[in-house]
Amino acid sequence: MILKMPIQNKLIKLYDFSMMIIETIRDFPTALKNRKDLLNEMYVIGTQSFWLVFFGGLFSGVILAIETGHNLEKFGATLLISRTISLGMVRELGPVITGILLAARTGAKNTSELGSMQLSEQVEALKAFGVSPIEKLVVPRVVAAVIMFLPLTFVADMAGIIGGMFITNTTFHVDLVYFWRTATDVLDYKDIFVGTIKPMFFAFFIAIISCYYGLTTKGGTTNLGKNAINSVVMSSLIVLTLDFIFTKVVWELL
Amino acid sequence: MIRLNNISLDYDERHILKNVSLTVEKGTTSVILGSSGAGKSTILKVILGLTDIKSGEVFINGKSIYQINEKELLKVRRKIGIVFQGNALFDSLNVRENVSYFLAYENKLSEREINEKVKEMLSFVNLEDTQELYPDQLSGGMKKRIAIARALAAGPEIILFDEPTTGLDPINSKAILELINKLKSLGKTSIVVTHILNDAVFIADNMTVINEGEIVASGSVREILKSDNSFIQKFFYEIFLDNTLFKEN
Ligand SMILES: Nc1ncnc2c1ncn2[C@@H]1O[C@H](COP(=O)(O)OP(=O)(O)OP(=O)(O)O)[C@@H](O)[C@H]1O
Ligand SMILES: [Mg+2]
Repeated sequence: MILKMPIQNKLIKLYDFSMMIIETIRDFPTALKNRKDLLNEMYVIGTQSFWLVFFGGLFSGVILAIETGHNLEKFGATLLISRTISLGMVRELGPVITGILLAARTGAKNTSELGSMQLSEQVEALKAFGVSPIEKLVVPRVVAAVIMFLPLTFVADMAGIIGGMFITNTTFHVDLVYFWRTATDVLDYKDIFVGTIKPMFFAFFIAIISCYYGLTTKGGTTNLGKNAINSVVMSSLIVLTLDFIFTKVVWELL
Repeated sequence: MIRLNNISLDYDERHILKNVSLTVEKGTTSVILGSSGAGKSTILKVILGLTDIKSGEVFINGKSIYQINEKELLKVRRKIGIVFQGNALFDSLNVRENVSYFLAYENKLSEREINEKVKEMLSFVNLEDTQELYPDQLSGGMKKRIAIARALAAGPEIILFDEPTTGLDPINSKAILELINKLKSLGKTSIVVTHILNDAVFIADNMTVINEGEIVASGSVREILKSDNSFIQKFFYEIFLDNTLFKEN
């Protein structure tokens, strides 16, 4: 019995989590009805994460430029730096850096907010008065994340490419105009498509995982802390896992 | 009408409620009395379908709420207002937003009508001037009264009060008890959980005494007070003792 419990519990949790995903998707249209909550969440994500994502993207681009630049320089191929940075940022680093930063930022916020509402019976109060917590708390957070992650990823992409451009120009003396032209020319629809679809998936899972951990908080504030940590760890992990799936599987299917 | 049929409920293998049956007629006030940890708050949660039960059935106006889907259940719950023991005010919202939360959610009233309603509810609980305050700026007793105003705002048919007078001064407690009696005269059904016998006698049509998850006795106030059940005698004896000590001081 005791040995059986953990696995049973895990399966129950997995089931609950899947049900929450289904209910959330089913209730997506209610985001319009609760647009005040939606706009509020969008505003919070947008304003509080802008600089975080900007600098995250900027330094990724700069580091990428320096690392690849030194290697390509050995072969006299510094003109190729722009292609590497552009593709690297749009396809991989932009979405992943944004995803991981926002897994921490938005994930911790959602879990601690919903967790403390859960502990102080505010979630039960919503239910008691006939309001669905999925509709009122989860859907606005998930939809806001899905909408806002895309422009934020774009910010990271641009910051990375432009940062990389200046480093390449000053360190490896590649012409700015040349850099910009090749960086944009090398991107085809497939790259843009993958770079757009990834953030949406990341956003969906980060938001829903963090809401799940928040709403299932039990006991006291110690557990709230634990759940916030688990939420950030799980959502960062899911970002990397999904990224792998996209790079390996989806890319080859396209 | 509210009917609980043989409700049993466990939390982590602990038997919290054992075969609890209870009927509350429309337009009456029922009081649930019992010591701490007896399962009183749990009964209120069961009535709202907020917690899973092991066996038994709950009927609200003839609907068996553990057999309907979530959407239907939400509809039933909208007919019920509850004052939680810990108030459960929304701490990111101010008093006005808390009180009008469910009115605004239903989207049936205009902004002006909502504001009128909020004023009316706040004057019921003597807190007209708190509209812009946030829950963490209120005292315990004020929070309780705001929670009462919130529960009543949407005009529910059934109101569940979990210790509505705990922590209130005598004047405000009296006002709340009179409010509960006034609700009855308007045809509302109330279930009130309390520790305080005087309050119970003042509002109750029926009393239910619960101990360790089991109903010990239920009936009219007179029947309960006359009961020769040993737990009830002991329970009330303690309360009377408290009262006499209080008077002697
Ligand atoms: N969420 C929960 N998880 C586990 N046990 C719980 C939970 N809620 C309540 N209990 C247990 O259920 C029993 C009844 O609790 P309940 O809150 O109904 O008591 P009560 O009669 O309202 O007490 P009080 O007068 O102190 O408010 C207690 O023993 C408590 O430990
Ligand atoms: Mg209680």
